[in-house]
Amino acid sequence: MIPIDELKKYEILAELDPAELKFLSGMAEVTHAQEGEVLIQAGLPARTLYILQEGNLMVAFPDGRAITLHKPGGVVGWSALVSPTRYTASVTCLTDCTLITFPGSELLRLVQRNVVMGTKIMRNISKVLGRRLPFLQEEDRQRLREKR
Amino acid sequence: MGGFSAISVGNGWLIAALGISVVFFGLAALAFIITYFPRAIRWWNDHAEKPKYTIELLRSLFSKRETETPISADTGEGHGPGGLDDVEEALRLLTTHMKEPFKLPRLIEVAEQRGLARVHSTINRLLVKGTMVGETDGLFRWAKGSKKEGNPHS
Repeated sequence: MIPIDELKKYEILAELDPAELKFLSGMAEVTHAQEGEVLIQAGLPARTLYILQEGNLMVAFPDGRAITLHKPGGVVGWSALVSPTRYTASVTCLTDCTLITFPGSELLRLVQRNVVMGTKIMRNISKVLGRRLPFLQEEDRQRLREKR
Repeated sequence: MGGFSAISVGNGWLIAALGISVVFFGLAALAFIITYFPRAIRWWNDHAEKPKYTIELLRSLFSKRETETPISADTGEGHGPGGLDDVEEALRLLTTHMKEPFKLPRLIEVAEQRGLARVHSTINRLLVKGTMVGETDGLFRWAKGSKKEGNPHS
């Protein structure tokens, strides 16, 4: 369980009210990963959404291009919320990292049940992912557009 | 005298065997050369025109292996053999072959194959320092004017 105040700091959760954050805090956990550890493997089933709390990540797309995340609040694993829930990129820790994790199935269920909250979360995830669109395959872009 | 007897008397069997052997080994040598020719050309393209690259890369690798002292990537300390400067230098050498802008995951893969220490944290430090820059198209390059002056090994 993560304190609500901690969750509120992150961009994708910033618009949520305390009651909504309370739902999320119950399912959120903190995990640690070491430098060089592959957090996410492209093509595998997406089961977890991660928010970077501390550390640095590299998001590598199948065509070899990549972006790096250095600030707290960076989101990886958004595919956990978008059918067919398969990761579209691999994520590797550039340094030791601390991340907040959300189980994809639970989060997806919550988003589907609570439309208002789901809209807020998906809108913020879309904002964050906007700059990653050029790297995604056309089918993944379509998935994201449909979800918006 | 004629026929097989004449062949035997004139060492014909030996000469025939010798001929077969010469042709066989000649063809085997030719096949070997053809098999390895592309690799030799590739090696020549990669190294022979730039012998300094090979020497410096080997030197940086060996200097890393001689010391077991880990780099303190979090503090950025690590000058000297196997330190940040050495890994950075080795990364620069690797990217000269990849051409800029380069793919970061590929650079990490190649650097790890070469046995460079703490590639991820070193690259992270270079990115944070602005020595290495990510382009908007997902490719990376060295920042202009970031080329290290002089070679610590030379």
